[in-house]
Amino acid sequence: MAIVNGEKTAARSAPLTETSFIGWLHKNLFSSWINAILTVVSIYIIYVAVKGIWVWGVEEAVWVAENRRECFKISKDGACWAGVIQWLENIFYGRYPRPELWRVNLGGLLLVVWMAPLWLPRVKNKIFIGLSTVFLYPFLAGYLFAGGDKGIFMQVVVSGAIICLIGNTLHTIIGVFSGGGLPENLTRLLGKTDASDQNQRNTLLAILAAAFVVVFLLQMGWTVEVVPWTKWGGMFLTLVISGIGITSALPGGIILALGRRSRLPVIRVLSTSFIELFRSVPLITILFMATTMFPLFMPEGFVLNKLVQVTIAVCLFSACYMAETVRAGLQAIPMGQYEAAHTIGLGYWGTMGLVVMPQALKHMIPNIVGSFIGLLKDTTLVSIIGLFDILGMLRSISQDVPWRGLHKEPLLFGALLFFIICFIMSKYSRHLEVKLSAGANR
Amino acid sequence: MTTTEAQETQSQLASAASTEVIIELNQVNKWYGQFHVLKDIDLVVHKGERIVVCGPSGSGKSTLIRCINRLEETQQGDIIVDGMTLDKNLKNIDQIRSEVGMVFQSFNLFPHLSILENLTLGPIWVRKIPKVEARQLAMEYLERVKIPEQADKYPGQLSGGQQQRVAIARSLCMKPKIMLFDEPTSALDPEMIKEVLDVMVELADTGMTMIVVTHEMGFAKTIADRVIFMDEGEIVEQNEPHEFFNNPQSDRTQLFLSQILSH
Repeated sequence: MAIVNGEKTAARSAPLTETSFIGWLHKNLFSSWINAILTVVSIYIIYVAVKGIWVWGVEEAVWVAENRRECFKISKDGACWAGVIQWLENIFYGRYPRPELWRVNLGGLLLVVWMAPLWLPRVKNKIFIGLSTVFLYPFLAGYLFAGGDKGIFMQVVVSGAIICLIGNTLHTIIGVFSGGGLPENLTRLLGKTDASDQNQRNTLLAILAAAFVVVFLLQMGWTVEVVPWTKWGGMFLTLVISGIGITSALPGGIILALGRRSRLPVIRVLSTSFIELFRSVPLITILFMATTMFPLFMPEGFVLNKLVQVTIAVCLFSACYMAETVRAGLQAIPMGQYEAAHTIGLGYWGTMGLVVMPQALKHMIPNIVGSFIGLLKDTTLVSIIGLFDILGMLRSISQDVPWRGLHKEPLLFGALLFFIICFIMSKYSRHLEVKLSAGANR
Repeated sequence: MTTTEAQETQSQLASAASTEVIIELNQVNKWYGQFHVLKDIDLVVHKGERIVVCGPSGSGKSTLIRCINRLEETQQGDIIVDGMTLDKNLKNIDQIRSEVGMVFQSFNLFPHLSILENLTLGPIWVRKIPKVEARQLAMEYLERVKIPEQADKYPGQLSGGQQQRVAIARSLCMKPKIMLFDEPTSALDPEMIKEVLDVMVELADTGMTMIVVTHEMGFAKTIADRVIFMDEGEIVEQNEPHEFFNNPQSDRTQLFLSQILSH
């Protein structure tokens, strides 16, 4: 005998517990007596904590004062933000000469302008823009920050960077408004659309060369005053060191990881021992070694300043950590992918660059950003060996005569700054993950 | 049987194909550690010949065809593919690999690339063909495996049978002289096996040199010029399919055939 359901069941709306706010509350917070009590207690604890911080940090806080004594006079139980506010420039720029601050700001602005196209969907040739950010921007910014006489090498690189910056920006503007690129538009402008590829390429190269000569001649007359590295400090210094660390970590890490998985024993042993050596020593030890031991191994008269030593140490350290992250990502790629790449005739670099790395990097994003965040925070260790990075600046507020003993507020402010930067980074990494996995992985 | 005699016999078996030799294995031996996987393998394949390799699992059939494009290294013996000897010379290996297409049991498509990009990767980066032409070429082969409408999807969105057909098209885009198939239908549901086999039969009709490791005996009967039976690392018997299935010579072959044909 058959069992038949003759009539169709119409869809009904979901019960209130699923849709209304009260329903949600009831289900998640007050589902039983114990849950209800826990909810009430938790809300009370949160209220007390937030209120305490609010009263101390905002309501009773002193925002304007000449010194700490005055702070106390105005309010006994409030935070003394006046000291932090008065030191704000120091916290961000260290002892960088005040009339020259525009150089730091300009450097930051250029970085934003340079990298902005990477986030604009209609712009093409993003790989080139990204590479130029890594390889050309640091020289332009470096000269901007340090100043002084340019050697011939610096002159060439700075000119290249300037041209690249102008080209990038034009390319971006054209891209955003028309969806095309700079090279196509230049050829169209010159009426060479129908010429052969060879001819077009030559024309573009000629324009590039001409632009280079012009920029080179112009920049010869442009110099900025020397600012010795000892004057660099604050957030600026922290960002410089960790920025260099971050940009060199990924390529360095990839090379080390490939080396560790190499079939050639010499390369494998070298990479492995290098990674293990740097990973098993605390960063602070490496920093001390870099500043005290490194000069001992250098030839007589060869002096590297402390900032360079520290930066190199941070780069090596972060590259070694990154190498392990990259290796973990590489191991997640099945052997079949390598074999498939080999069977269509790709060699080692083709296989790695086109098939394995793009997949592995996607797996690695959370870990990569994790180590970037770690690196940014670890950079504060340089304050121990006498560089005045942001932590050094925050702590020297308490040594400043008018603000003697002001510890809490500057450190809290620093914590807030770091939190903002790191939180943005981690949110962005999450966004990247979602975006990259949208294509494949279903 | 001596080596030369073996070769003569193999030539006679290859009567349907041309007499031009394209793959030659001489006394090939391979060990995984202490395990002797391939024992004194002699094999001559002629241009246009279609060979089916069968045998129980662990008999070394996959290893055999993986040696032909050097996914596995051998310790003894010569392998000559399209006039080039496989040795430590990396240039030779890359050259040979681009002449020899391979289709795997687990498809091994590149999951981060669209179907079209999967197909054009080799032509663009290895053959250095301009992108537009590579795309046309890819679409041509997608038509041939009957899934042009999937070009912009990603491998994860396709069924197993479709993925395997894409894998075949990907290999064909390199215009290989030889196609190796390593159990191409073993990971597929029954209703998808047919669509892949159909594509392979069509390919066989174009005169492609094919070596297929498979358990699809029906396929072997219809398209093979020669069936090779392997057991415990050696070639036990080879014959043209009709003779092979109806009149197996060795005990091991008879046992194997009785086992797989009993259902």
